[in-house]
Amino acid sequence: MSRIDLLDPSTAPISVRSFFDGGDPGPIVGALAHVPELVAPTLAFVGAALGGGAVGPRYKEFAILRTSALQGCQYCIHAHSSVAFDVGLSTDEIRALRGELPLEEAFADAGERTLIRWIDAMAGATGPVPAEVWDAVRAAFDDHELVELSVTIGATMFLNRFATGFELPTSPGTLDALDVVGLR
Amino acid sequence: MTDLLAGTTPRERIGEAIREGVLPGRVWLYSNYHCNLACSYCLTESSPRSARRELDPATMIEVARQARDLGFTGLGVTGGEPFLLPWLPEVVGEMARELPVVLLTNGTLFAGDRIERAAVFAGHDVAIQISLDSHIPDVNDMARGSDNFAKVVEAVPRLVERGVTIRIATTTAWSLDDARLDPLKQLVADLGIRPENHLVRPIVRRGRADEVALGVNAEPADIPSELTVTADGAFWGSFGPTVRRGRLDSDLLVSRTVLPLAVPAETLIGLLRGMPPGTDARLGIR
Repeated sequence: MSRIDLLDPSTAPISVRSFFDGGDPGPIVGALAHVPELVAPTLAFVGAALGGGAVGPRYKEFAILRTSALQGCQYCIHAHSSVAFDVGLSTDEIRALRGELPLEEAFADAGERTLIRWIDAMAGATGPVPAEVWDAVRAAFDDHELVELSVTIGATMFLNRFATGFELPTSPGTLDALDVVGLR
Repeated sequence: MTDLLAGTTPRERIGEAIREGVLPGRVWLYSNYHCNLACSYCLTESSPRSARRELDPATMIEVARQARDLGFTGLGVTGGEPFLLPWLPEVVGEMARELPVVLLTNGTLFAGDRIERAAVFAGHDVAIQISLDSHIPDVNDMARGSDNFAKVVEAVPRLVERGVTIRIATTTAWSLDDARLDPLKQLVADLGIRPENHLVRPIVRRGRADEVALGVNAEPADIPSELTVTADGAFWGSFGPTVRRGRLDSDLLVSRTVLPLAVPAETLIGLLRGMPPGTDARLGIR
């Protein structure tokens, strides 16, 4: 149960009603619509930060799911466990990113473990990224990839606080999908 | 600032939309939502117990200033009952230095010397619009509250005598050309009001009117799309920021941002482009 009213097609402001034309746009849009002028720019930013890009969906989901786990956002963990599975991550990889398995058990590639440790330093700590973490990730990834992933992490942290602060509900469809693969 | 892609400024685009008739020229302001009356068909559920939702004086004056700068041609002030605000006459006087103002009131707060709070607008570009719904006192007062009729017919001639421009607004469940309105039209004329200053309009089924199933159902395209500024944001039309069961309707919200006024104005223009002129006149809502 959300802590705020989630707007629907009957209550959506006229200036953002097009976002509701195709049916329920989900709780993030239903909440954002209270401030209609924020809907389009926020979705544009979040869409660019979390989707597409040059680093590919696997590493994007590393950043999103790991950040969401570090921030304790159940809504985002549920949503992106499902997305991560859909883009090809194994259930063990997903569990490891959620902190339910040691990284070494799920990720054989040292470069990928390095990336996850950098994500941990970005999203799960304050202050500078430790030099040894930075040096390791810098050796394995290009600047543009780290810039892109840092924006993904930042946008995810915004969504984590937004969804957690307002207690946005996970859709039954997502929970059902997670049940099917044992990831609920 | 110039929009490099469009080659025009917001001021130019808004002024053009107003000149083309895409965007109506009047900006409405809800000065407050509380009222000394509690009319049965009130769009905003206004009553003495309503949340005030006041605009502050500085915002009202700045809206007026920016409206003139952007090319709007007039202002309207409504509520609630604006005359419940002690600073209202002074602020509306300031606003009228920018653009002509229509000031809506129930006309019941002008007994005795209090008439001077409205009489200050004599000779200014301010028209006071007072509600009167029937020539039969009991019928009028059934919807608007006891003694409403008597107070209005007492105040109107006194204001007219003092040189204040007065408009009468009648909200009716009858057809706008129903002959049963003729006695009211005669009464209004007898009060010294010219026919062109008597507006007759339907009850719009929003707010409290919707709760009691009164009035005409109106789609957004039926509602005059005048930019309307409230303490809760900017809306599509003065019939937009309605209240039901104590909660503000959000369906005609344009933006929470009110100032700079170009922000909601440009958003509203974006919604209006492509609608044929006159679309909003079908139900006679005004």
